[in-house]
Amino acid sequence: MSISIDRRQFLMGSTALLAAAAAGVGPAMSQETRMRLIFWGGQARADRTYGVTDLYTKANPGTTFDGEFLAFADYWPKLATQTAGGNSPDVIQMDYRYIVEYAKRNAIAPLDEFIGNGLNLDDFDKDQLDGGKVDGKLYGISLGANSTAIMVNTTAFEEAGLELPTRDLSYADLPAMAEKWNSSSKRAGMKLWSDYSGGEPGLENWLRQQGKALYTADGLAGFTAEDITNWFQLWADLRAADVIVSPDDQALDATDAIENTMITLGKAPITYANSNQLIAFQAVNKDKLTMTNYPRIKAGSGGGHYRKPSMFFSLGASSKQQAEGAKFIDFFISNPDAATILGVERGIPCKASTRDAIKPSLDEQSLVALNFVSNLGDLLGALPPSPPSNAGEVGVALKTKSQEVAFGQQSPQDAGPAFFAQATEILARAKS
Amino acid sequence: MTARSIQDANRAPTTGRAVSPSVWSQLWSRNAGGYLFLLPWFLGFFGLTLGPMISSLYLSFTNFDLLTAPDWVGPANYVRIFTADPKFSTSMRVTLFFVVFSVPLKLAFALGVALLLNRGMKGLPLYRAVFYLPSLLGASVAIAVLWRQLFAGDGVVNDALAIFGIKGPAWISNPNYSLWTLVVLSVWQFGSPMIIFLAGLRQIPVDMYEAASLDGASKWRQFWKITLPLLTPVVFFNFIIQTIEAFKSFTPAFIISGGTGNPINSTLFYTLYLYQEAFSFFRMGYASALAWILLAIVGFFTAFSFLTSKYWVHYDD
Repeated sequence: MSISIDRRQFLMGSTALLAAAAAGVGPAMSQETRMRLIFWGGQARADRTYGVTDLYTKANPGTTFDGEFLAFADYWPKLATQTAGGNSPDVIQMDYRYIVEYAKRNAIAPLDEFIGNGLNLDDFDKDQLDGGKVDGKLYGISLGANSTAIMVNTTAFEEAGLELPTRDLSYADLPAMAEKWNSSSKRAGMKLWSDYSGGEPGLENWLRQQGKALYTADGLAGFTAEDITNWFQLWADLRAADVIVSPDDQALDATDAIENTMITLGKAPITYANSNQLIAFQAVNKDKLTMTNYPRIKAGSGGGHYRKPSMFFSLGASSKQQAEGAKFIDFFISNPDAATILGVERGIPCKASTRDAIKPSLDEQSLVALNFVSNLGDLLGALPPSPPSNAGEVGVALKTKSQEVAFGQQSPQDAGPAFFAQATEILARAKS
Repeated sequence: MTARSIQDANRAPTTGRAVSPSVWSQLWSRNAGGYLFLLPWFLGFFGLTLGPMISSLYLSFTNFDLLTAPDWVGPANYVRIFTADPKFSTSMRVTLFFVVFSVPLKLAFALGVALLLNRGMKGLPLYRAVFYLPSLLGASVAIAVLWRQLFAGDGVVNDALAIFGIKGPAWISNPNYSLWTLVVLSVWQFGSPMIIFLAGLRQIPVDMYEAASLDGASKWRQFWKITLPLLTPVVFFNFIIQTIEAFKSFTPAFIISGGTGNPINSTLFYTLYLYQEAFSFFRMGYASALAWILLAIVGFFTAFSFLTSKYWVHYDD
C-alpha cells in the first residue's frame, strides 16, 4: 500500500497543525522552555558550561538549553548580527569592554527587578557588582574576578638557577636579572622577558602605578605624548640591554592567542596575560607554570592592578524568558555543584559562599589563581571606567606603533607624539 | 467602480499595440521551462548578490554599528577615506604591491609549467593533477596555517637554509619579508591558470611549428613568434581573472597575520582593512564605502586591460 495525500488533505492537515500551535495546544513541547545561551571561549570552557546547563535541566525539568560558543574575535560580529536581526539569545556572555554599548542601545536588559526575586546577590563582592552597572542600573552579573598577571615558566627559571619573579620585582631590576639569565639559561635562544611594549594592559598598569589612567571617565586619553615616549623608551632600553625577545619573535604573537605567546613558543619564560588564563596556558605548556603580578615601576609603587569582572552574564533585551534567565544566572553563580564544575576557569567566583564551596576541590594552579586575585594587597587599585567605544582601535594602533619602534623605523621620541595624535584622533571620532 | 477602472487600465495599452501581448505570451510559453530551471540561480542572484549589494551601497552613505539603525551621513565616509584615512593608503599600497608582483610571477610560472607539461610526456594526467592540487587547497585555512609554520623563524624554510649556512629571518613576522611570503604563496597556487594555459597550448596547430622548424627557426624563436602570439587571448583571460583574484585576496593574510595585517601593517591587504572596519570595529557603513571603492578600482583595472588588449591580444586564427 502506498500512502498518498492529495493537496487538499495536505492543506487541511497543515492548517490544523498551525492552528493548534497558535492556540498553544500543540504537541507535548508546550511545557518546555528553551533557553538560548551564547558565550566565547574554548572547548574547556564549553565543557564546563554545558556541565552546568545539564545540571540545571536536571534540577528544573522542562528547561533545556541551546548553547553556542565561539572564539572571542568571532563572537562579537555574531552577537551584533543576531542583535541587529532582533534575534538575540536569552543569556549572553558580556565583556567589560562592550557592556556600556549594549546597555545604552537597549540590547541587554536591566536586572534590578530580579534582585532578591530569583537572583540572590547577598554575599556578592561589591566591586564586581558595580562593574556590571551602567548609569546606576545592573546589566551584567560578573562570573568571576580577574586580574592581569604574568605567566612564569618555573622549569626554565629553575634550570637557570634563578629565583622566580616576586611581587616586588620592578622594571629596573630586569637588566641585572637578564644578565644572570643570559649567562646561565639552559634554553638556547630564550630571552628573559617578552616584549610587551604593544600591550594595552601593560601600558595601563604602568600608567596606573603613576596615578594616571589609560582612559578618563569621559572617554579621553588619560596619558600624554611624553608618557608614551617614556613607555617606548623603557622597552627600547630593555631591548638594548638584551632583556627582551627580538621584534621578529614578538611579532609572531599577533593576537595574544595562547599558542603564539612567547612562553608557549619557548622564546621567553614570561608572558603577559590574565589570571584566569593560567589553566589554559598550562594546558599547552609542558613546563610547569605559575603566575605573579606585572612588574612595579619602582619599589613600593602599587595600584596598577585591578579586579576586573572577567565576563558577565546578561539577558537579551528581547528575550521573553527573562525571569527564567535570571534564575539560571543565579544557579550558575550560587549552586555549589555548578561552582565545582566551573572552578575558577572564568575567574574567581564573586560570592563568598561559592568561593568557600569550591576551595576543597581546587587543584594547585586554580588555588594559585584564587590566592593571587584574593591577595593583591597594595598592588590593587580601583576599577577603571569601562573603556570608550573606539578603544579597540587604539589598542591596534599601539601594537603597530610599538612594532615601528621595535624594528627601528621610529625612535621613542617620535613615536610618543605620533601615537598620542593617533589615539586622540581615534577617540575623538568615537564622540562625533 | 474600482474593479472596472483597473480592468480598463489593463486593457488600455493593449489596444495600442495589439501584437505585443501575444508575442510576450508566445515567448513565455516557449521559454517558461527554461526560466523555471534558471529559478534557483535567479533566487540566488537577486536574494544573495544583488539585494545585499544594493543595501551595501545604501549603507556606505550611513553610520551603521549593527546595534542601532543606520544613520544617514551623506558622502562623509567617502570623504574621510580619501582625505583623512592613513590606513586606506597603507592598505592600498600593500594590495597594489601584491597585485603587481604576484600576478605576473604567477602567470609566468603557470606558463612555464604548462609548456613543460605540453611536451606530451608520460603520465601527464597525474602531473596535471599534482600541480593543480595547491590551487584547490590554496584558499583554505589549512594552507595558510602551513605557510605560517614553513616561514616562521624556526620553520622548515630556515632549517633548509641553515644547511647552506644561511641564517634566515622570521619571514612572516618581519615587515621586510612578510608580504613576500604571501606573494610566494600566491605564485605557488599557479594550478588554475596553468590548466587554462595547457588547454590554450593544445589549440595551437602543430603544423605551424613543423613549418617553422623547416625554415630553421629555433625553439626560442618559435616560442616568441608562434606560441606566445597565439596564446595571447588565454594570457589575457588569465591576467584579468588573476588580477581580480589578487585584489580580492584575503584568507592568507588574515590567517598569517592573525587578522591584524601586522607587523607594522605590512600585510594589511585592502580586504583585511575592510574586514577590520566591519567586524572588529563594527563600522559597517565605512566598510561598505571601502568595498564600493574596491569594486570601482577593480572595475577600472579590468576596463583598462580590455582597452589595451587590442594592442597586444591577437584573435586572428
